[in-house]
Amino acid sequence: MITDADSDSGEALVRAFAQETGANFILCGNPDGERMQASLACCRSAGVRAMAADPDLCSVQAVDALLREARDTLGPVTVLIHNRRRIEPIRVEDGDEALFLHLLDTHAKSAFVCTQAVGRQMAEAGAGSILFVGSIHAEKPTGSSFAFSVSQGALKMLAKEAALTLGRSGVRVNTIEMGPVEGDDERFRSDVSALYQHYRFKVPGAQLGSCEDLAACALFLASNKARYINGADIRLDGGFVLHYLDHKMKRDSQRQEEADRR
Amino acid sequence: MTTDLTGRVALVTGAGTGIGKGVAVELAACGAKVAVHYNTSDAGAKDTEARIRALGGECMLVQADVSRKSEIERMAAQVIERFGGIDILVNNAAQQLNIELFEYDETAYDRLMHVNLKGYWQCMQAVIPSMKARGKGRIVFISSVHSKRPTDFDPVYAMTKGGMRMLCRESALELAKYHITVNAVEPGAVDVGKKSGKPRDIIPDEVNGDVVTKPRDVLLRKFPMGRIGLPEDVGKLVCYLSSDASDFMTGTAIRMDGASMLL
Repeated sequence: MITDADSDSGEALVRAFAQETGANFILCGNPDGERMQASLACCRSAGVRAMAADPDLCSVQAVDALLREARDTLGPVTVLIHNRRRIEPIRVEDGDEALFLHLLDTHAKSAFVCTQAVGRQMAEAGAGSILFVGSIHAEKPTGSSFAFSVSQGALKMLAKEAALTLGRSGVRVNTIEMGPVEGDDERFRSDVSALYQHYRFKVPGAQLGSCEDLAACALFLASNKARYINGADIRLDGGFVLHYLDHKMKRDSQRQEEADRR
Repeated sequence: MTTDLTGRVALVTGAGTGIGKGVAVELAACGAKVAVHYNTSDAGAKDTEARIRALGGECMLVQADVSRKSEIERMAAQVIERFGGIDILVNNAAQQLNIELFEYDETAYDRLMHVNLKGYWQCMQAVIPSMKARGKGRIVFISSVHSKRPTDFDPVYAMTKGGMRMLCRESALELAKYHITVNAVEPGAVDVGKKSGKPRDIIPDEVNGDVVTKPRDVLLRKFPMGRIGLPEDVGKLVCYLSSDASDFMTGTAIRMDGASMLL
């Protein structure tokens, strides 16, 4: 089961899991959208079955109903990838309550509801893997969207709690803390934090992350090779948050940026 | 040396019980005028008031449900009307329901998020204008060791504390330009005079101040100092974080648990 399967990261996850695992899929997102249709086509060409649905992931009833339907046609869920990323500017000083709750629910409440519903099914089966696609902003403030960070901090603690509770039933729960991807300098544009200035070069290898990096990490964590990894936060950022000294950045010249574009 | 907070105005939420009561009394002992907030613990708030008056301190009581923005705004307005402004906000009013993962329903989930996270945030929103007008401010979160380590007895409580960890860091960055500092205290087990929520085994059964009737070797397995925390332990640290002495300290979280999280 992959949430937001019609996003860039969702598409990469579906592609990787369809090709590498032969799994069947519950894909959450707009079933009629072009991107979901592309993901469904990807599943068909890999010879695996998939259903697409767009339940309210904050509703226990809606998620339970989807799981019941899926169990009849595809079997029980063995891997849940909660993959949501909505970033909206919001400040502590004058932020709007509705937007705060929207961001909190989108990331944290939906993860809680999915973990309850899928976790119950997995615990009964005595096996399973739950992955939260989180963010480095579970630790590093954004200076632009405090409610996003708050939601990521909550998500990180949910993973640890669930790793204990579900771990006793053979279910592993881990978090991938995603680092900078192309466009994050705009998404997290801030007047109080310089974190995303020259963000590419703050990664020691001077490369931004990609959805394919995420998918490769998720494949590993969902596999039996990661059988002993539980309750872990895997920081997938190329070392971005370790950056400290600007003058030691790999390159920060116009030439380097042009070279990267080429 | 006692921290001097003479003339400062502090608003302490959830000051009718437990840690909040200890914080309110310690702030008053340092000279601050204290607004003692409570929601349902009016008898406890009156007790806090009596303790502060016994010290010769000045205080007021103010009731509000911190899950509602309108009540928070009314609370702040009442304090500002009485004391002329707010220098110190101690965000302490939080709930812990001790419900297991599969037992949580939406009502309980929302209640914790709205009180512990939205409440902390909106209490800040309500006092920022006064702090800006005064040119500085001190905000202290009473968080928990469970902002980093899971509880194994209340997943949503830990989620709110994990969110609070980031709320503190974000607020520190954003409000630094107003000379408002935002820091967190992360207590471990504290003797609040009653067990919070349903019974749980990490708190010793019999605790009376620092005299504990459990065998010392049993206690030391959980608490290296031979005791759990007291509200006044937390209160003294809050006084420091509220004072001029902590002027360059912001965005930090101080674990205050007698080293129990190292075990």
